[in-house]
Amino acid sequence: MTSAVDLEPGAPSDVDLMLGIQSGDADALSQLYDRYNGIMKALILRIIHNETEADDLLQEVFMEIWKQAKNFSAEKGKPLGWMVTLTRRRAIDALRKKQAYARAEERLQAQPEQQPLAWVQNATENDIEAGDTRALMAKVINSLPEAQQQVIELAFFQGMSQREIASHTNIPLGTVKTRLELGLKKIYDSLKELRDEF
Amino acid sequence: MSFEEFQNCARLYVIGALEPEELQDFEAARKQYGSAAEDFINQCYGLHEAFALSLKPAKASNAIKDKLMSMVRERGQGQSGPRSA
Repeated sequence: MTSAVDLEPGAPSDVDLMLGIQSGDADALSQLYDRYNGIMKALILRIIHNETEADDLLQEVFMEIWKQAKNFSAEKGKPLGWMVTLTRRRAIDALRKKQAYARAEERLQAQPEQQPLAWVQNATENDIEAGDTRALMAKVINSLPEAQQQVIELAFFQGMSQREIASHTNIPLGTVKTRLELGLKKIYDSLKELRDEF
Repeated sequence: MSFEEFQNCARLYVIGALEPEELQDFEAARKQYGSAAEDFINQCYGLHEAFALSLKPAKASNAIKDKLMSMVRERGQGQSGPRSA
């Protein structure tokens, strides 16, 4: 796989675009933006829950990608993984800086208890058969027990520590740790299987 | 710390969920296992990609890209590029 999204024949790979950005090619950044702005915006929105702030942060993130591209190494991972790590960090920083943490907690508490899985998109069997990477990822995460999804949601998308999760959910710290470990291992193992298939 | 325990910690580490008291043991094990540890940690960052891809993509305002590209070009990328930014 040269990209996490479907590419037109002959389209540059993600690594090609990152190399272009490293050499100062603004068009490469433009193409990378077109390819991934939807995913990055979804990630930012999932963390900060505000459309306008998400757009502003999206712009800042791609500007940072432009400036920090020199730090990307294809030997250490894929461009999308690097971008997601950068984006998540910026979004969680923004969440904390704006002291929106309490508001996010309120929103989480306001969500119906039966919908802890709302953060994953629904994957249909047709999507899976079509080899849609996104649908496969959603299916993997969706297959976790809800209790594991909940703690992973709080850790990854809200940036909470194990203790913060325990406090937020009134679940013992040891249970939080076990659920996180089991859930992450299952996702990791599924990803590994996927990688091995490609 | 066994390598299996290290792997569990590494998956927590990449999402920033290791507690401070766990971090010290994790870093010690990371040194102990050397390149195998680093390779595993790099693979664990694939979790970030998986979580992002599991979300339904959102539509960004068209003006955002125009503003971004305008800023990039204003920074004189054609002369020095991001390496010296």
